Formats: sequence, C-alpha cells, structure tokens
Amino acid sequence: MAGFLKVLVRNLMQGPSTDPFPLGETFTPQRLRGKVHINPNLCMGCGVCRHSCTAGAIDIRQLEDGTGFKITVWQNACCLCASCRHYCPMGAITIDNNWHSAHAAEEKYDKVEQQIIRYEPCSHCGSLMRPLPLERVRALYANDDSLDPKLLRTLCPKCRQIEDAKRNSCKLPGAPGKSASANDDAATPASAAPTA
Amino acid sequence: MSMDTWLKKMSVRSPWLFRINAGSCNGCDVELATTACIPRYDVERLGCKYCGSPRHADIVLITGPLTARVRDRVLTVWNEIPEPKVTVAVGICPISGGVFREGYSIEGPIDRYIPVDVNVPGCPPRPQAILEGVVLARSIWLKKLGLEG
Ligand code: SF4
Ligand code: SF4
Ligand code: SF4
Repeated sequence: MAGFLKVLVRNLMQGPSTDPFPLGETFTPQRLRGKVHINPNLCMGCGVCRHSCTAGAIDIRQLEDGTGFKITVWQNACCLCASCRHYCPMGAITIDNNWHSAHAAEEKYDKVEQQIIRYEPCSHCGSLMRPLPLERVRALYANDDSLDPKLLRTLCPKCRQIEDAKRNSCKLPGAPGKSASANDDAATPASAAPTA
Repeated sequence: MSMDTWLKKMSVRSPWLFRINAGSCNGCDVELATTACIPRYDVERLGCKYCGSPRHADIVLITGPLTARVRDRVLTVWNEIPEPKVTVAVGICPISGGVFREGYSIEGPIDRYIPVDVNVPGCPPRPQAILEGVVLARSIWLKKLGLEG
C-alpha cells in the first residue's frame, strides 16, 4: 500500500511522462544523426564517401560541360551510418540533427543534399582543376616556409610537378654551380670545404 | 447531412493503423512498437490504434524492402485493406531498398507494386518522425475522404 502511494504521489508531482509531440515541442539529442550535409568549399570530389557509403546513397558525376562536378546524397537511401563523415579526408561532411524527415511521396526524389562544385583554371596552363582549400594547403606545406601555399593551390598537378622540379634542380648533387651544401646530412664537417 | 457523411465525420477521429512487415530487419518494427506502446510517444493520443485485421485498417505502415519471398503475401494483405487507405513507407528500406538495394532477393522499392502516400526515411526513423508521418498520413486520409481540415 505504501509503495503504491509513493508511486501515486510521485506521478502526481511529475505529471505525465508522455512527450507532447506532435501537439507540442519535443527534445532532440545533440548528436542525433538526421541529415547529411556537404561543405562545397571543402569537398574535392575524391569519391571516398561514395566508396564507403553503406547504402549507395552518394552520387558524384562530372557536369556535362566538364566545368565541375556534382555531388548528391539522397536522403531516402541514406541509412545515417556516418561512414562518409568518418572517411572523408577533407572533413567536408557533417550530419545535423534535423530528424523532420517525413514527407509526401511526391517529394521522394527532392530529398537530396546536392552541391555543384566548379573547377578553376590552373594559373600556369589554364587547364581546369579543383584547387585544394587554402587551409589544407597551408597545413600540407607547413614545414617549408619557402613554398607559397597561395600559389601552389592555383597550380594543376602537372604544373606543380614542373614547379617542384625547377625548385629542386638547384639542390641536386652535382648540378652546375651548386653543391650538395643544401643537404644537411653532413653539414658540420663539409660546410666550409666545397665552396669554391 | 447524409448518413454516409455523418459516419465519415464520426470516424475521422480514429484512423486505425495496420503494420506490414515486408522483410524488414525488425529495426523499424521496434520503432513502430515503441511509437505505440511506450507512454512517452503514445500514438493513441491521435486516435490511432493498431488493429489486427487488415479489413479494419485506414493507414497502413509498411517496413522492409519487399523481399521476393513475402511479395505476394504483402500484396494480398494490402489488397484486403478497404479504400480509402493511406500507405506509409517507414524506413529507407521500403522507400529505396535502403542497404538492401539491388540485392538478389529484393523486389522493392515498394512503390514498384504499391502506391505510397507518405515516406518516413531513416534507418530506423525515430518515433517522433514516425508520429509526424502518421499525422501527415492522417491529413491525406481526410482529403481522400473528402473531409479536409
Ligand atoms: S565529401 Fe569528402 S570523401 Fe566525398 S568526395 Fe568530397 S572530399 Fe571526397
Ligand atoms: S551516412 Fe552512411 S548511408 Fe548516409 S550517405 Fe553517409 S555513408 Fe552513405
Ligand atoms: S530501414 Fe533500416 S532499420 Fe528499417 S527495416 Fe530497413 S534496415 Fe531495418
């Protein structure tokens, strides 16, 4: 009897445990996975997300005129496993906690996250390419002050190779006019000797 | 007011739900059970109630990707439900095939065989999303009955 009274009093004090939704507000956990978003400033179109997608919900294809690519995530196929977010090397994928997914069947194919990402011309040869985000280039070349990340990001891979070859050729051992002095391995004993 | 309209008006408060499992992994069915049986979500507040016979149903909730094995049975049961009925696809499985899409034993997505009215994607969708889907289905049901609002 006492136990019953305790439960009764507690229930009277706390009110009903029913969530007022859909007639009122409900709670949403912060980390609930609701919908996939792609950051068009970061996505490189590498296709890792598509490869890792459990449900085959991601599509990446070239634009018909070849000036960019289109990445699409179909919400009606996405099982919200977050594998894409985990494997994306650019950190371009986020998943918000918007769970309001119910929709009329006519909107079935409208429930997509789609980004169109345009290529940019290489500053040397003009061929189209997807430049890396500046932040990422900075991080990649952080150990070498002599490199200009702003310039490097505007070069296509081929021109970057050429630039790199030009820059490094003067450091090759035996190159005319220069010596191996740039090579730090034996720096202390050899530093004075070979300078003619 | 004709007898017919009067009866319809009386019944709009309580669309009855029927559940068809078209080969689901059971995840969505657990969420459907949660939506009905756990006081926190309590779908019966909306006048909805799960019924045992398809002939009593108004809104049918389908889960699962429609496997080859259950296809004909699902169609039989679905055809038993009297018109006007509203079909709700719960989970990504019936909508697109989900993670089972293009599997050798998968006949879905469900709208190849059955006209779907409402989609509730998720794997599984959370109970609140299912409630939202039921509310949407209810408004479509009212429209089909000619009793808008
Ligand atoms: S979202 Fe990430 S993984 Fe997917 S293509 Fe873009 S950069 Fe690659
Ligand atoms: S969350 Fe999973 S299913 Fe959804 S797009 Fe990402 S990898 Fe694919
Ligand atoms: S949508 Fe996901 S949880 Fe629901 S039946 Fe399919 S696989 Fe299972």
